[in-house]
Amino acid sequence: MKKLMKKAMALMLALLMVAGLAACGGPSGEESKAPEATKTTESKAPEGGNEPAGDEEVTLKWAVWDINLTTYYQPLIDAYVADHPNVKIEMVDLGSADYQNALITQLTGNADLDVVCVKDIPGYANLVKGGYLADLSGEGIDSAPYGGTIEQITVDGKFYALPFRSDHWVIYYNKDLFDKAGVDYPTNDMTVAQYDELARKLTSGTGADKVYGSHFHTWRSAPSLFAVLDGKNTVVDGNYDFMKSTYEWVLAEQNDGICQDYGTLKATNTHYSGVFFNNQVAMMNMGSWFIPTQIEKVKSGESQATNWGIVKYPHPEGVAAGTTLGTITSVAVNEATAKKDAAMDFVKFVGGEKGAEIIAKTGTFPAIKSGAVLDELAKMDGFPTDENSKEALSTTQVYLEMPMHDKAADIEGVLNEAHDGIMTGAMTIDEGIQKMNDEVGALLG
Amino acid sequence: MQTTQRPAVSEAVAKSRKKRELIKNVVAYSFIAPNFVGFAVFTLVPMVMAVALAFLSWDGSTNNPITFVGIQNFIDLFQDAKFRQALINTVAYAVITVPLTMAASLGLAILLNQQIRARNFFRTMMFFPYVASMVAVTAVWNMLFNPAMGPVNMILSGLGVENLPRWSVDNNWFICMGTVILFSIWKFMGYYMIIYLAGLQGVNPDLYEAAALDGASPWQRFWYVTLPQLRPTTFFVTVMLTIQCFKVYDIFLMITNFGPGGKTRVLVGNIYEAAFTSRKFGYSSAIAMVLFVLVLIVTLVQFRGEKSMNE
Repeated sequence: MKKLMKKAMALMLALLMVAGLAACGGPSGEESKAPEATKTTESKAPEGGNEPAGDEEVTLKWAVWDINLTTYYQPLIDAYVADHPNVKIEMVDLGSADYQNALITQLTGNADLDVVCVKDIPGYANLVKGGYLADLSGEGIDSAPYGGTIEQITVDGKFYALPFRSDHWVIYYNKDLFDKAGVDYPTNDMTVAQYDELARKLTSGTGADKVYGSHFHTWRSAPSLFAVLDGKNTVVDGNYDFMKSTYEWVLAEQNDGICQDYGTLKATNTHYSGVFFNNQVAMMNMGSWFIPTQIEKVKSGESQATNWGIVKYPHPEGVAAGTTLGTITSVAVNEATAKKDAAMDFVKFVGGEKGAEIIAKTGTFPAIKSGAVLDELAKMDGFPTDENSKEALSTTQVYLEMPMHDKAADIEGVLNEAHDGIMTGAMTIDEGIQKMNDEVGALLG
Repeated sequence: MQTTQRPAVSEAVAKSRKKRELIKNVVAYSFIAPNFVGFAVFTLVPMVMAVALAFLSWDGSTNNPITFVGIQNFIDLFQDAKFRQALINTVAYAVITVPLTMAASLGLAILLNQQIRARNFFRTMMFFPYVASMVAVTAVWNMLFNPAMGPVNMILSGLGVENLPRWSVDNNWFICMGTVILFSIWKFMGYYMIIYLAGLQGVNPDLYEAAALDGASPWQRFWYVTLPQLRPTTFFVTVMLTIQCFKVYDIFLMITNFGPGGKTRVLVGNIYEAAFTSRKFGYSSAIAMVLFVLVLIVTLVQFRGEKSMNE
């Protein structure tokens, strides 16, 4: 009996193993089918036309996050489908929190996604490394209107995603707090030193009445990336000595009570919007994505900072005004899709000029910022009416928060950890920078 | 005649018994099968795969090759300062948290086993942190221990304490680790209190009576009657708590985010980071193997200890 049982168990385990392996090996079987399917569709598609799908009914699946919270997905789809009645677009919401991992898992499992959103540069780098995205560089896309962002995501002469959203960092300021302190409003040509001086003048009060002159959110990019604005260094170079003076400046503000303590903000998980809404900070550096939120919260009464404006990001001495940091959100085509032509056409629409105008109408910053788009953004109901705020929407030079690098995700992890150590005082500035140099140096080999 | 018939009869009886046993076993295994299939698909096969993956290099993409690297992942592991720090932190967390949680839960169980007023209310109150959402309770905990204006620091300040601790963001390892340990004890003591309470119900009251007749003090009754009688419960609690402590991830993520400056990183955090940030699935599996072996050794030592004590 024992022998029989042992045999049965062994057989069962073997079967389960085979089943498991077969399940894991599934995608390769699918893969062999995919190119055939691609060929079939390609052969049917008209060449080089704007309507590659012809009159054939096509359903594209588009991987996105936060459908209910994002205002521009549906208008984009509606506008595209109006011109392409044979195309149906279905959104697949993979959630915001772990979008990039969820997306890679789906693509590894050969999910039938045709178009995908790419959330950030580390995520883009992982998708490119994994061979999940189709090459867009041969699609006749003019990179000029994208303000240099396409060049910054180009790998070995090829790019695999088209930016459709591009936010840049500006200074938000509370006009009432400036008036109360009797200080002139900031300008669009302000150096980092002048920003610090202004922040110190605006700091006042104690306890619940305390007003902080500046505010640095807990993200590494908020304080530390002032260091890259001179264009001499990037955060993927492997040497971070150039960041020392920026950290000294930020820690001096923190120690002098000009900005809130990083450790407290982190421990309490304080959101930057709250401190601005509650009139606790006179100036705050943040991305342009906060503009629609601030407008909406002023209307709803949640933001008490009703008299506000924006100016261009402070720049180092000798650097042109309008030099700032930026982030991009892109759209790409799944390399394994069987509907590549139709997907490519939709991607070009979303990332193109028509898509940019639709995105701008929802109060969101598109990647292409033509004069018409900037006018559209400045016309938003609730946008500050002063000229400086409108002018702050344009930029001179935008450096991506994280430049394209195949080890972007690893580098970001090291920098975030060292930043946390420096800002909490767990490490001195020198120790933190040494950690960055050593660990990123090891990553870069 | 009799001599030739007897073996045939006994053979038939044995055959029928075997058949009955077989049917009985098939029925029993058919009951186990659904659970075992689930276990095999979601635990056993992934575990075997993880063992294999620890000797491979793979970025998780089906478009890229999987290469055999032998023990290179393990060599890299022990040269990785982040891994060493996570290993020390995980062991330290387990070594401190396990006995303190056990002491707290046993103490609570003995207190709430007494005939006191509103006993059930207090039992529920003590159990509540265990069932409460981790996200919610860590948020409350972070507010209480807010380094700038949290109630805990306000009380300490009122008591005249200078250089107030900055708790989860303190640059002193003992304080930031202590904050997490304190939270863990508070969160889990209610659950283990229930286990101890169940164990206390199984202690024979005659033993206390006999000890009292022999003139044993309350402390002696606890030491010589309660504790030995609770040994199986204590063994269960130790094993479960140890495994739980080695697997810790969410508490550190929510309270310290493995900071400040990576000072409170733990092994499971490293596993996640290696797999889903760096996309080094082989390396990540190697860390998982080390964790598995570590937990296995500790559990085996505990089993051996329990066995020798029983003998």
